[in-house]
Amino acid sequence: MDAFYASVEQRDNPALRGVPVVVGGDPTKRGVVAAASYEARRYGVRSALSMAQAVRLCPALVIVRPDFQKYRSVSQQVFALYREVTPLVEPLSLDEAYLDVTENAWGEPLGVTVAKRLKQAIRDTTGLTASAGVAPNKFLAKIASGWKKPDGLTVVAPGRVESFLQGLSVDALWGVGPRTADKLRAHGITMLPHVRTIPVEDLRGIVGSLADWLKALADGRDDRTVEPNRPAKSSGSECTYESDLTDMARIRTEIQEMAGEAAEWLARKDLVARTVVIKVRYSDFTTVTRSHSESPPTRDVERLAGRALALLEKTEAGRRPVRLLGVSVHNLQNTDAPVVRTRDDAPRLPFDGD
Amino acid sequence: MELVARKADLVRELQFFQQIVERKNTIPILANVLIEADGDSLTLLATDLEVALRSKCEASVTKSGSVTLPAKKLYEVVRALPESDVRLATEKSGQVVSVSAERFESHMPTLPREDFPSLPESGGGTVHTIKGSTLREMVAKTQFAITGEDTRYYLNGALFVLRPDSMTFVATDGHRLALVNAEREGGAKGGDEVKAILPRKTLSELSRLLSDGDIDVQYERGENHLFFQIGPRLLISRMIDGQFPAFEKVIPKSNDKRIEFEKDRLTSAVRRVAILSNERSRAVKLVLDKDKVEVTSSSPEFGDAREPLPVDYTGPALTICFNAQYVLDFLNVVESDVIALELKDEVSQAVLKPVGAEGYDYTYVIMPMRV
Repeated sequence: MDAFYASVEQRDNPALRGVPVVVGGDPTKRGVVAAASYEARRYGVRSALSMAQAVRLCPALVIVRPDFQKYRSVSQQVFALYREVTPLVEPLSLDEAYLDVTENAWGEPLGVTVAKRLKQAIRDTTGLTASAGVAPNKFLAKIASGWKKPDGLTVVAPGRVESFLQGLSVDALWGVGPRTADKLRAHGITMLPHVRTIPVEDLRGIVGSLADWLKALADGRDDRTVEPNRPAKSSGSECTYESDLTDMARIRTEIQEMAGEAAEWLARKDLVARTVVIKVRYSDFTTVTRSHSESPPTRDVERLAGRALALLEKTEAGRRPVRLLGVSVHNLQNTDAPVVRTRDDAPRLPFDGD
Repeated sequence: MELVARKADLVRELQFFQQIVERKNTIPILANVLIEADGDSLTLLATDLEVALRSKCEASVTKSGSVTLPAKKLYEVVRALPESDVRLATEKSGQVVSVSAERFESHMPTLPREDFPSLPESGGGTVHTIKGSTLREMVAKTQFAITGEDTRYYLNGALFVLRPDSMTFVATDGHRLALVNAEREGGAKGGDEVKAILPRKTLSELSRLLSDGDIDVQYERGENHLFFQIGPRLLISRMIDGQFPAFEKVIPKSNDKRIEFEKDRLTSAVRRVAILSNERSRAVKLVLDKDKVEVTSSSPEFGDAREPLPVDYTGPALTICFNAQYVLDFLNVVESDVIALELKDEVSQAVLKPVGAEGYDYTYVIMPMRV
């Protein structure tokens, strides 16, 4: 979906159309940009930018508070359209997905036709535009989908893969972030064809275990299938506070609530977690994480919160002002095995207010 | 740094650090022990940021200095050495420390001393002298009742109240509570209370450090930290801030039924009967009747068990049910030959107490399970 949150807001409020709009938090309170309309992007406003910076770049910026419930319901509409075409839909986020349309419900022989029809269906149903990439594999499709935006459609037919690859810089490779890209560039590797020429051993010296993967991608090889039920590997939440937290009781409450959210999520997904991770960012932006793994895995809110709070004791939170807190659960597994009953099922001593 | 120390001294001290350093550690330096050599001794220091231990041992230092070494591996290596002198020396690079004895030689990487966290200093507060053996007993009688992981973080430790003439330890996991009061010899009546909630790890370190001999402990409560000087060793602990629950409220006052048990007979009976209890609830029932208490258990998958114990009891017939582990936890640490069970009915808190204990009061409150 193109500038998804911002487009939804522009769709629902005519006054926002044609003006630079961002969805995100309050600029006076450390908000960040969650999505920027194409009008805003012209000023250099991007998502993840701090709202204060965004306003500096574009003083006329209109800031809209996010309404995730609305975005989620639009997202559900769009995914329902996908699933009418093929059950092989792998969601990447609320507004992005891989579809394997080799076989499709419409019986369309060409991927590009499926893409065109889907784009039209999305426009008819939601009034929003989407950009699509059609290619022989996930890696190429992902790059192609970003090629022309908004309302783009890029096709990399098998015969054109080679010329498409020739024009790509290493940044485009899946798994290459800014750091890795810098390392590669430091070795004179800026474009995809350079990755092909360097021996894999030398590449390993630069990017480690990523080398074989990059080699494959540079040749346009990507055998990953579209996985409709890719299991979640972790879940969590974090929050940047309007002003730094120093009160330990408040910090504990925040951690407890986030652990509660994680527990709810686990219950919804029928999962249990073995690992709890907390994240603390101090006022000077130094960030620490602390993790604790223990068997048996659990989704018991008391236990998860207890672990998270115990981890909090291993940080300097409170003694140092805290800007951000986060709690996440990892090492997830299904609850095929019976969940271990906690002692909290047992009767409690009648402490006041307990 | 370059020094020679006796193996026996080094092993004895290093052993105390094994539980301090973190097993599953996210900060590499916290797996290390900081060794500082100066004059005729070396100082050892390790921390997991919740507790820290500092200790000393004799050494002949030829070059003073400091290094940090992995606490576990260093201990394993030194322990395996012959009973002789051990030499520790920083190599020229400064990155590696050699540990050698007789013909054995090893090299271990050191992490920068600057990375080692700085620790709070004691001083300023009033220092109280506590009898080590009393402290050890109080810790032993309460530490098992601390909950492992509770959102009520103040339950993840024991409350320690020090008064001039007595001291109190209380711990609870919300289902049972252990309370011990002990006298302090020669203390005046009245005076201020010094209160602190001690983390669980601090209690287990205290019991380790106090395990041999009777030694006086110098205790100081700082602003955020507690200091226990135990002979040459100093244990520093974070304090859990928070309000410990009003424990007095759950200690029953109107338990009018009392049964005395021979401790060993009750312990064996509960242990045997509990084998066939429900694996999750671990419930055992005490079926009270005239001059008899029957300990029973049953579970759909394992079957059932019972063992009657003759007692003096003239009250009404009554059945009360406990988690066997909770009962055994108490029986395992109580010293007296006879213990008393005091209760009111099937659903109110029951109390277990030693009979004839001297110098201390020990009260163990358990919430019964529904029969």
